[in-house]
Amino acid sequence: MDTAMEHPTTTWDAMPDGNVFYRRQQLYSIPGKLPDLGDYIIAGCRSGGPIALMRDNTKLIAVGRATPAFSKAQIQIYSPAGDGLLLFSWDQGRIVRFGWSFDERLVVLNEEGVYRLYDLQGDYQQFSLGSEAAEMGIVDARIHENGLVALTGSLTLLEVKGWEGGRPLALAAPGLSEPPHAWAVIPPDQNISRHVEVLLSVDTTILAVDNLESVDQRLSRGPFTHVSPSPNGKLLALLTFSGLLWVVSTDFQRSLAEFDTRTVGADGQVNQAEWCGNDAILVTWNNLALLVGPSGDTLRYIYVGTTFAVTDIDGVRIVSQDVCDLIQKVPASSVSVFRPGSSSPSAILFDAWESFSRRSPKADESIRSIRPDLAAAVDECIDAAGREWEPYWQRRLLSAAKFGWGFLDLYNPTDFVAMGQTLKVLNAVRFFEIGIPLTYSQYIYASPSQLVTRLTSRNLHLLALRISSFLSLKPDVVLKHWASAKLARSKSSTEEGDDEVCRLIVDKFQTLGGGDVSYADIAKRAWEVGRAGLATKLLDHETRASDQVPLLLTMKEDKLALIKAVDSGDTDLVYHVLLHLHKRLPLGSFFRLIEDGGARLASASRLLQVYAREQNREMLRDFYYSDDRRVESAVLSLEEASRMVDPTAVVTSVKAAHKFFSEDKDRAFEAKMMDESTRLLSTQQQLEKDSDGKVNFFGLSVSETIRTCILNGMAKKADRVKAEFKVPDKRFWHLKLHALTAMRDFEALDAFARSKRSPIGYEAFVRHLLEKGHAKEAATYVIRCDAPKRVDLYVDCGEWRSAGRECKERGDKARLEQLRKRCPNSLIARELEQLAASMK
Amino acid sequence: MAAASTSPSDAQTSSGLGRESEPSLDVELLKEIGKKALIDALNSVNGAKTLVLDPTLAGPLGLVTEVALLKHHGVDKMFWLEPGPLSSTTSNIVYLCRPLIKYVKILADQIKRHAKESLKHRYTLFLVPRTSTLVTRILEEEGVLGDVTISSYNLQFIPIAEDVVSLESDNAFKEIWVDGDETVIYNSALALDTLQKLYGPFPRIVGKGDHASRLATLLTKPLPEQALSTTNIPPPAAPFDSLIILDRQVDMITPLLTQLTYEGLIDELIGLRNSQVELPLSLLTPPAAPNPANPAALPSTSAAAVIPVNNEKMKKHHLTAATDPLFAELRDLNFSSVGKSLNKVAHRLDEDYKARFQAKTPAQLRDFVGKLGGLQTEHQALRLHTGLSEMLVPVTRTDVFNKSLEIQQNLLASYEVSNQISAIEDLIAQGADMQVVVRLLCLASITAGGIKAKSLESAKRELLQAYGYNYLPLLLSLSAPPLSILLPNPLPVSTVPSVAASKYPFTTLRKSLRLLIDDNPEALDEVENDISFVYSGYAPISIRLIQCVAQKNGVISNPAEKNVTDDGDAKGKGSAKKLYAHPILGWKGFEDVLAAIPGKTFDIVQKVPGGDTAPSVTSLLRPHEQTTTTIVFFLGGCTYTEIAALRWVSRQNRGRKFLIATTGIVSGGSLIQSIAGVSKKGPGSKDTSIYSLSTRLTLLIQYHTSALEQMAPRAESKTESEKPARKTKSSAGSGGRKKLSAFNKFMQSEMARLKETEPDMAHQERFKLATANWKTAKENPRATA
Repeated sequence: MDTAMEHPTTTWDAMPDGNVFYRRQQLYSIPGKLPDLGDYIIAGCRSGGPIALMRDNTKLIAVGRATPAFSKAQIQIYSPAGDGLLLFSWDQGRIVRFGWSFDERLVVLNEEGVYRLYDLQGDYQQFSLGSEAAEMGIVDARIHENGLVALTGSLTLLEVKGWEGGRPLALAAPGLSEPPHAWAVIPPDQNISRHVEVLLSVDTTILAVDNLESVDQRLSRGPFTHVSPSPNGKLLALLTFSGLLWVVSTDFQRSLAEFDTRTVGADGQVNQAEWCGNDAILVTWNNLALLVGPSGDTLRYIYVGTTFAVTDIDGVRIVSQDVCDLIQKVPASSVSVFRPGSSSPSAILFDAWESFSRRSPKADESIRSIRPDLAAAVDECIDAAGREWEPYWQRRLLSAAKFGWGFLDLYNPTDFVAMGQTLKVLNAVRFFEIGIPLTYSQYIYASPSQLVTRLTSRNLHLLALRISSFLSLKPDVVLKHWASAKLARSKSSTEEGDDEVCRLIVDKFQTLGGGDVSYADIAKRAWEVGRAGLATKLLDHETRASDQVPLLLTMKEDKLALIKAVDSGDTDLVYHVLLHLHKRLPLGSFFRLIEDGGARLASASRLLQVYAREQNREMLRDFYYSDDRRVESAVLSLEEASRMVDPTAVVTSVKAAHKFFSEDKDRAFEAKMMDESTRLLSTQQQLEKDSDGKVNFFGLSVSETIRTCILNGMAKKADRVKAEFKVPDKRFWHLKLHALTAMRDFEALDAFARSKRSPIGYEAFVRHLLEKGHAKEAATYVIRCDAPKRVDLYVDCGEWRSAGRECKERGDKARLEQLRKRCPNSLIARELEQLAASMK
Repeated sequence: MAAASTSPSDAQTSSGLGRESEPSLDVELLKEIGKKALIDALNSVNGAKTLVLDPTLAGPLGLVTEVALLKHHGVDKMFWLEPGPLSSTTSNIVYLCRPLIKYVKILADQIKRHAKESLKHRYTLFLVPRTSTLVTRILEEEGVLGDVTISSYNLQFIPIAEDVVSLESDNAFKEIWVDGDETVIYNSALALDTLQKLYGPFPRIVGKGDHASRLATLLTKPLPEQALSTTNIPPPAAPFDSLIILDRQVDMITPLLTQLTYEGLIDELIGLRNSQVELPLSLLTPPAAPNPANPAALPSTSAAAVIPVNNEKMKKHHLTAATDPLFAELRDLNFSSVGKSLNKVAHRLDEDYKARFQAKTPAQLRDFVGKLGGLQTEHQALRLHTGLSEMLVPVTRTDVFNKSLEIQQNLLASYEVSNQISAIEDLIAQGADMQVVVRLLCLASITAGGIKAKSLESAKRELLQAYGYNYLPLLLSLSAPPLSILLPNPLPVSTVPSVAASKYPFTTLRKSLRLLIDDNPEALDEVENDISFVYSGYAPISIRLIQCVAQKNGVISNPAEKNVTDDGDAKGKGSAKKLYAHPILGWKGFEDVLAAIPGKTFDIVQKVPGGDTAPSVTSLLRPHEQTTTTIVFFLGGCTYTEIAALRWVSRQNRGRKFLIATTGIVSGGSLIQSIAGVSKKGPGSKDTSIYSLSTRLTLLIQYHTSALEQMAPRAESKTESEKPARKTKSSAGSGGRKKLSAFNKFMQSEMARLKETEPDMAHQERFKLATANWKTAKENPRATA
């Protein structure tokens, strides 16, 4: 057995300089499984994904060959192992481009700007680039993993982000007059700006276009036939018409390598120039593939017929008629272990283990020699195991690692265990019946859960479930997909059939899925395939309202949807239902639905009012009217009045409010107030007329009206307003006091104060005048205040002498003494002393 | 309960310093998350962009980020989202707003206008905190949906102090209790869920109130996944032991009262929005040439410098304890003790400056210079807070302010209720602010279980006549069912039964929750040692309810009482003696009290998935060592006084921290205004904004010399008044060592008065006029002689 297995290095080829190794790993042998690739347009999916083929109509085809003649476009999908996964025909407009999304869905775009996303089961979602794009027509497109960029008939660029059918965004206008010779897209996640960048080969130069600007890179070597960015988006491979391969950084600042492909001596045109990982470029002709390394060194690989190359992050996959190969730079750890004559610790460790298994004493010696580096050697062996394709070598490398760590005092075996698990999974999916030739670094890059999704999309549920539980991932994704598939398969729509399927699904979910599986998704699926009964049954098991409600709406379960939305507490969801229903139902039944809900739907009713108050007052008025809500109607009228400018309209609205209030016998007070309000408004209109429109009265309150009257010397009118609206004396006096003080009309104030005994006392006069800074005037009113307060008030007015005299009159000597202590200057102090002396 | 109660409250200050030792949750993390989310949102739009900002978001955003950061991420210009045309030089326009219909309409209008002028722009709309169907629908109705890319900026809790996080949702109260729009509740649930994800689950949810209960049920159900931008978070120092949810309706009384702590009073009288206060510029910038020889601006001298001129520029200032340790000391004090505290700091600062004279050797001098920077910032802080207090003092001495305090106190004690109603009517007559009057009326209605129908009607009529009939909807809202805080007594026959059921049992609560502390001299000490210090003798019900859960003995008697005796001699020991907090046992022991308050009571013990074994082991091992955090969520907002009171509660025990979470900071005034907001634009609406008060007080302040002194205890004020007097002369630089003559004094005040009355007159003419007046002035000894 040992000898039967080829040593890993047999697949290696050294670059001419002898330091860098590339290996060609045969993944699958597929003689006769694929049609002649030369006749087809092909799109390959990264990370060991399938390839899609469509007949290239520009090429002639010999009649009478085995291949059936297609009347319309047909797309075939093959796994890397050459198994046909799917065949579907295209009935829409001419296909301009198809490609793969990150989740292994085939994106097919036609010239009308319609694109579909097919999963591997043939189900699709359809989106459009919009009517403008349809008018202009789509000429070409580039599809990357998370979106696409389309070139329209008017030579502008449209970008679509993500695959949720988002609105296409126009990129900056490149100002082209003819289609570019070649072009490429650097996806957003590989660009420094995190926005998509399009590289167009125009004339002799390249235009770099993003959503802001179009920059001419001012090159002179163009035009280019191939523009190809490296997987990490940092480098760009350009191929000129003269066959010069030129590698530059994507910012066009550094030129890295040049290579003239004419020197190779291959026949015909270059088919593809694709990156192999991030450091070498594979240029293919019919029958030949040439790997150009970073320094311009080359390796030749001979193939029969046309090949197709798919770039990956760590290599390039080549599909030809007979084989599916992976060409990649030999990973560092593999080089370290297996390079002939390697003396690295890991190589010695591996050697030591081999000696040990042959029971040779050399083992001990070897181990001893690498003692200080043993831990690193162990790690390297584990890593190298991950890079090997053959389980035989994987096992040997892991055994060597295990052997090595026996000599270590402390070693954390987590990496070892994880690698063992990973390899088990990888070997399982690489098996030709599954046909996903995933490398270790691709697996790490894309995450295990993505692998599970890929398996489910191939309907390999059992394997997916096993792998999920093996890697302790949540099984809900698998279960969801399984249930949808189950639904699609079970055709019967009888009552028992529904029950049966529902029970099956629920059972499976409960035993395997825990609480994480969403029944709503499955129910939606059931609804889509026209099984409403089953959908309802499944929906009953759903706990998340946000998932339930939209489906209930589409199922026209209006009331239930509204109740569920209200119960969820998510007001946005309630709005969603309300707005939806408002659109669909006649107004009357819409209102009835809400009103019949009673207390349970009260909050929905409130929300509707909030919305309508801002956006749809007409509806709100109808709503209140239909429900006899007088008070609300009145408030609504008042609110409208407050937004109006035209006086007559305001009066009308207020009158309307008055009418609404008076219709409700419990609102007598409010009705009365509204009546007063209308009277006030008309009084104010009269007042404005009297003042020849110089003074604004309209809309003021009663108090303000009085105040404005006084301020404008209309004292008589003020009295009349007071009488008409029965303003209490107290308020009137305060108002007049404030107004006269503001006018500094102290004589009128004095006259007013003497007009009759003040209902608010005279202290208010003093305080207010003081507050407004008229201490002198304030002091004149102190004498009319209550005797005990006078001293303090005088002090507040700054009239120390008067305060002193007041003390004297009342014979309060202690107080006088206090005053003397607090007074501001010696002058007054002396006077106060004199007063005190005179008091005896 | 008078504002100017003179006794200091040392207990609070000293214990305030000794609490740093215990670990607490790092709420700055939330700020970082908010910042990062904003940057991500901005970066998703390529190139330079014009940012159009919802004005109500500016404040909250200011707490999370700064303008420089926005500029850094491509924001070229910023505009408010206001009606009217928008001109932008960049092709990208980014709108950032809350999902309100009015904003969306403005946005749609601007887009349509651009289309008409055939301007090409790319529009991105970020909705805070999440996208909404409503917005999509309205954009669709306006016909611009296709032009806008809609996304969300998930701004949730913002830390506004080291122990307070807020959603800064201004109208939460109105939306829930007046409009019936429960969006805030759902958003709160999402935000609390985020807290759970960041800091660990809430093992127990205790609470009171119908809407609070709704929130709690939402929290127990699975919520939609939210993307968190940070993934690896270290385990918190103090995990949650419970979440206490109170909705605002459980305690409507507290916000209606006038807040009497320093921070609370600033909010009441000047207005604090998103922790920012608008202050005259002169208060914020240090004097032009700070003279190191005369640094200590003591209260009375600074008065001259601080007096804000009438139309001086106002500037926003962010009041935060993080950069202003003096504010941390002051914010929770009853205003009556702020003056004394300021004095103390001023003295200390003076001493520190004097250290310069002791510095003999170069090394000592270097030390001093090293400290100088710190001293100067402290000096500036002192100046600021002195100035602020001086702005507050005159207002606290107005008739209206003291009257309303008196009415509040009487109502709380249920003393001569009917007289209070007529007192309120007097306030209307005197032209008090609308919100003051409405607050008092509501307070009367709640405490007395309704106001006599006849007097209520007359009060309402007065109110409408004085402030405008457009306040009728406000009155209706206040008396309508979910709120029902302005009711007649007895209720009319036709009222909905739910209104009758929601009657607030204030008088029973007053006894069972020990709400009112007597105002006699012996009890004054007690006031200092109970949460009631925040309202000078009244304990907020909300905080008492929290004590029912987290500090049960605090409800019945003062836990600090035992410490009072030895507080003076052993401050260090005092904190060591603090009891450990008892574990959370729900409402146990207070079920009857809770049952009496309307609204649902709940106590949910949550199953903690997977994690319930680990904490129990640690709690077994070290039963008293681990500090836990109790998160208190106020649905509908809380006041600064409640925060102050809760901080006080947290200081009384060891082993428990409080994290205060709220939908926003409210005061009675802001509540009333938000409810009245509907008719704000209406005809004849009086400008009732909080600033009307502050402009009034800038007028007033010119006629009041420093009143702070007088607030401090008499004995001290004497010594202090000497010191500042000396400072004035040297600082004024007017040269004279003699005292100001009567003429000088007169001219000073007269010039100020003339400046006020004749603002247009030239200085020289004014001076002439003033000298002419001197001849006849009373102050002139010759004129009188």
